Amino acid sequence: MEELRETYITPVVPLDFTYNYRVGQYMERFLNSLKDKKLMGVKCPECGKVFVPPRMFCGSCNQKLDEWVEVAQTGMLANFTVGHVVLEKGARLAKAESPYVLGLIKLDDVDSLLLARVEKVAPADLKKGMRMKAVWKEELAGDYSDLDHFEPA
Amino acid sequence: MRNVGIIGVGYTPVFVSKRRDVNIAEMISEAVDAAFRNTGLGPEDIDAMVFGNMQTFEGLNLPHLWASEHIRALGKPIMRIATGGTTGMSALHAGYYHVASGLHDVVMVITYEKQSEGDSQVGLAGIITPEIMTMLSLGIDLTGGTGMGGLGGGSAGGVSFQANSYLNRSGATIEHIDKMAALERRNAALNPYAHLKDPDATPEKIAQTPLIAYPIRFGHVCPTTDGATVAILACEKKAAKLADKVAWINGLANCASDATTGNLIEGLITDPGEQRPCMIAAKKAYEMAGIEDPQKEIDMAEIYNGFAHQCLMFMDRLFLCGEREAHVLLDKGELEITGRIPVNPSGGVVSTNAIGTSALNRVTECALQIMDKIEGGHKVQKDVHNAVAHGWGGLMQYVTVTVLGDKPRKR
Ligand SMILES: [Zn+2]
Repeated sequence: MEELRETYITPVVPLDFTYNYRVGQYMERFLNSLKDKKLMGVKCPECGKVFVPPRMFCGSCNQKLDEWVEVAQTGMLANFTVGHVVLEKGARLAKAESPYVLGLIKLDDVDSLLLARVEKVAPADLKKGMRMKAVWKEELAGDYSDLDHFEPA
Repeated sequence: MRNVGIIGVGYTPVFVSKRRDVNIAEMISEAVDAAFRNTGLGPEDIDAMVFGNMQTFEGLNLPHLWASEHIRALGKPIMRIATGGTTGMSALHAGYYHVASGLHDVVMVITYEKQSEGDSQVGLAGIITPEIMTMLSLGIDLTGGTGMGGLGGGSAGGVSFQANSYLNRSGATIEHIDKMAALERRNAALNPYAHLKDPDATPEKIAQTPLIAYPIRFGHVCPTTDGATVAILACEKKAAKLADKVAWINGLANCASDATTGNLIEGLITDPGEQRPCMIAAKKAYEMAGIEDPQKEIDMAEIYNGFAHQCLMFMDRLFLCGEREAHVLLDKGELEITGRIPVNPSGGVVSTNAIGTSALNRVTECALQIMDKIEGGHKVQKDVHNAVAHGWGGLMQYVTVTVLGDKPRKR
């Protein structure tokens, strides 16, 4: 190893990429139905499991999913974390203004989990299995943010 | 299929956060030189090369071709493998296929990461954003407060759900994660090729580091490291001719589930702590290696743990203990270098993470223990006849397993 010096020649390469991914047909239908305050999922013809958000295939059965079903907006908290940092633009970490709760919600009669913000419950009171209900934004845009958060039911 | 053994290993002289004194290709050449030095072999002995590093981290797409002279690959078959965190072990497995198939007799596996020259958060975003396309198409918001917020800290946010799930199912507590991290930082202090070393690490010290996303603290998280690792593989005939000691690759497997936090093949579809691919891969690898009772026959393990809870979580997924037992073994001191089943005597990924090398280092560390060629103080005290190495990555859902032994597999 060369002896360490104070400075080396290390030119900065400033790359700033922008990509434009399509979310796909399944998520588009899901997002559009948010405008009507509906949560839509798909049901597997073989195992009968219901997936929300919808996906194209049931991996366990290798079945293409095309039976759409509207699902309940209540469920239980299956898993959670309490975030203390947030990602800023450029993927930098910053301290969150205050700790915030993210939950994986198991909606009633649904077999997958939905990632959502959880509010109106203090981090110390969080419990796996708590009953939860969906709370919508007032102005709906057909966007992820329409489904504002879940809170104790 | 022919038996394949590891006949030599080479590391860069150090694994540290910044190797500004060399460029990427120069740094890689140091590990190649070390492998030649340690084996007495030269470029003329190598038939083909497999190269591995993490996609996107330094923004280089063809580092193996840039470094082709530095790795002495001119005029030889070479390919690059990139499977995320598991890259190093996938590259080793590709090297195994080269030799086991009979196509080549001696193959060099070269892996590196020079994280200081890229932008690791952007690198992770570069992995997770396009790949998260899958997640995006499955309902995780990239722009708002929910999705990427939950992944705050790169993969740290994502694994917080995993850690919480593990604590729930095992009965372990956040203090056990602190304890595991402290154990590994102490082990790292004995390993000349480790990065974050703290001979005086205690669970209390780790517990003082701030929370990122419950239950993950900064003290549970791997560093970003610069370093390179090389392994030389050979068929039985060549190994007998070229090496005094061999660590045999007796079993190997890999397995994936789907790309969401909720893993489709994993029971209730959604538990990131279930890690069924690990169980599937481990079963296959043990079976191939002729290991019937891993708890009795495996003498030590190197487990991929970018986050400290994963060592405990994967122990039972690798069938090294019962489902609610890993933290109990930790409390009893059985996971220490002096213990009954030493885990990550090297200090693990949580102490050293030059990503492309990380899953290969799990294998080379087991190999060096078997060959009794460990430099430094982290040689486990019992004889190592069989060891298991584990890699974890992808988007949380991809696992590689390698079973090594001091004797070649009976066919
Ligand atoms: Zn199905």
